Amino acid sequence: METFAFYFFAVSITALFAVTVWSKNILYAMTSLAAGMVLISGLFFILGADFLGVVQLIVYVGAVMALYSFAMMFFDATGEIKEKHSHPGLVFLLGGLSAVVMVVIFAAPVIGASAPSFYPPVEGATNPQAVGLVLFTKYLVPFEVAAVMLLVAMIAGIILAGKKMDTSITEVTDDIGDTNERI
Amino acid sequence: MDGYIIGTIIKAILVLAIISALAGFGTYLERKVLAFMQRRLGPMHVGPYGLLQLAADGIKLFTKEDFIPSGANRLIFMIAPIITAATAFIALAAVPLLPEFELFGVTVRPIVADLNIGILFVLGMMAAGLYGPLLAGMAQKNKWGLLGAARTAIQFLSYEVVTGLSILAPIMIVGSLSLIDFNNYQSEGIGSWLIWQQPVAFILFLIAGYAETNRTPFDLLEHEAEIVAGYATEYSGMRWGMFFIGEYANMITIGFLASIVFLGGFNSWGFIPGGLAIILKVSFFFFLMLWVRASWPHIRPDQLMWLCWKVLMPLAVINVTLTGLWMMV
Amino acid sequence: MSLEEFKNRNVGEQNYRLVDVGQTPQTGMEKFEQVVKRAVKLELFTGLKVTFREMFKALFGGQMHTTKYPFEKLPIAPRYRAIHEMKRLLESGHYRCIGCGLCEKICIANCIRMDTRYDENQRKEVSEYTINFGRCIFCGYCAEVCPELAIVHGGRYETASEQRASYSTFEDMLTPLDQLAQQSEFPGFGAVSDDADKKIKKTPLAY
Repeated sequence: METFAFYFFAVSITALFAVTVWSKNILYAMTSLAAGMVLISGLFFILGADFLGVVQLIVYVGAVMALYSFAMMFFDATGEIKEKHSHPGLVFLLGGLSAVVMVVIFAAPVIGASAPSFYPPVEGATNPQAVGLVLFTKYLVPFEVAAVMLLVAMIAGIILAGKKMDTSITEVTDDIGDTNERI
Repeated sequence: MDGYIIGTIIKAILVLAIISALAGFGTYLERKVLAFMQRRLGPMHVGPYGLLQLAADGIKLFTKEDFIPSGANRLIFMIAPIITAATAFIALAAVPLLPEFELFGVTVRPIVADLNIGILFVLGMMAAGLYGPLLAGMAQKNKWGLLGAARTAIQFLSYEVVTGLSILAPIMIVGSLSLIDFNNYQSEGIGSWLIWQQPVAFILFLIAGYAETNRTPFDLLEHEAEIVAGYATEYSGMRWGMFFIGEYANMITIGFLASIVFLGGFNSWGFIPGGLAIILKVSFFFFLMLWVRASWPHIRPDQLMWLCWKVLMPLAVINVTLTGLWMMV
Repeated sequence: MSLEEFKNRNVGEQNYRLVDVGQTPQTGMEKFEQVVKRAVKLELFTGLKVTFREMFKALFGGQMHTTKYPFEKLPIAPRYRAIHEMKRLLESGHYRCIGCGLCEKICIANCIRMDTRYDENQRKEVSEYTINFGRCIFCGYCAEVCPELAIVHGGRYETASEQRASYSTFEDMLTPLDQLAQQSEFPGFGAVSDDADKKIKKTPLAY
């Protein structure tokens, strides 16, 4: 049963992400991305990591929603998009490199499978508690670094967006000379 | 094990049947209550007091032509309403609807799936439900639909933070994400209800819940006066009906969540047994949604963002911080 | 609703007053202050209270506004101008119309058509009389001009029918003979007002 579920999820996720990469319709690409992200949470549920599964669900539902809003702004959602490839070689090189790096990273535990675990799983801790324990002991530094990084990103975002925050957009008058020049 | 699976399937079918029937009945209630508040009678002619209006509407919706406009993205257009309806019911799977009861000598727990992260699952699933309006709006080649989709996106990005942060403080107090634990925490009468410890969180959660179910003060997605019908402009028949069933099921879910998390859940309440108590509470929240719809005006999208990001989110953060300090001391 | 109430239903005596809403807040701080003030004063709940009060009034105070129209009808004003009626003389039961043709002449929509002839008593008799209700604009000139109060505007406003002709012949509009007893001296459009005598001035005979 579990094996069946795993292969079901694995095949659907791969297929959906393939659609994301190859589809020229922005709506199909985005929707399959969102569906794939939701299905990944199924893998977490199979592993018994309910908390991480739900977090995956909530986080990526929101993240892809933000991507949708960009897609809405920049593309015609119902038509096909003409893609521009200016440096196919570079794209191939970078993509291939990152793929190799990912494979090496995920294959590394095979090498270190026999390594002893410094922090054995805590007995009797429920799922969220286990995540909390690991976050605040073994991964404390990455956790804090990530927090600082997010803070920096947030402040940068506020500064970028907040330059004209005091004036309402409806009150901004168009510079007529400027528009004439453009015409 | 077999019994467990069969029981779960029976429970799932029952929840699906009862809640979708209640969602349909909710449309009748909404029309009646809104009518009374405007001193009208509401539907009166189909059946006694218009009670069979639901059947008439159902017949109309089912027999209407399933229409897909030209220029629309067929696949996405067809999937979108299903997302709304399905996620609304999946979210209900993790909600304990009634207290345990005995039936033919078997103890029945009226919850389809007792997850130990229940509340997060429900909120996550309801958040995923907003993909329905978003995809619906983007799949149709209609500017009103697109505007509705854009409003869906900004509404989602606004309220989601408030929902999470407001519910965080009660989670910290109870120390669990399971809705059953929430219920058991408040089992000692009205005094132990979490609303007394967390009034701010309760109000924030309620506001965010109204945004989540896109009920009136935040009914931006299909604001008739501004964008025709928003994401639902091109929909008709049963696909449109599925949006509605999803919306009403979500209203019921939010009612259950608010009652379980803040108002003592299905603990018996004085002489009122627990099952009746939670039904009364959910009915009150449902009525409150209709009441608010009759009383208050819509707000603009920019006002929603302003409210969520500049008022509610800081309040929620302050609330969480104070709760943390109070728990440490 | 009585006729008196009905006539006064839209008269502006409800003591309208201007509400001072103050200045629109400009800066962020002012907006925030406004939100806090309104939240503390619980202004939102006033709205809820009003709607609940209305619901209570409607359900238990008998102040439901709905008229279940096809089953119950509101009274219409006496001077309402709906489908015409032809009146009869109360004494003899003969129709009042003397065939003078003034209504046909004055009709600005040209929708009245009448034909007359002399009967065996050398009285003028109406042989044809139709009103084309596809053209009639219900201006009321015909009733106004009629010297005998024979053609008046009645109160029949439900004029949906399969045929326009359904209402338009003389016989249709004439009061049926068996209902002659119920024919009241018509107060509505085309009738002289109650105080008509006072308003009339004698035609001066000599200057």
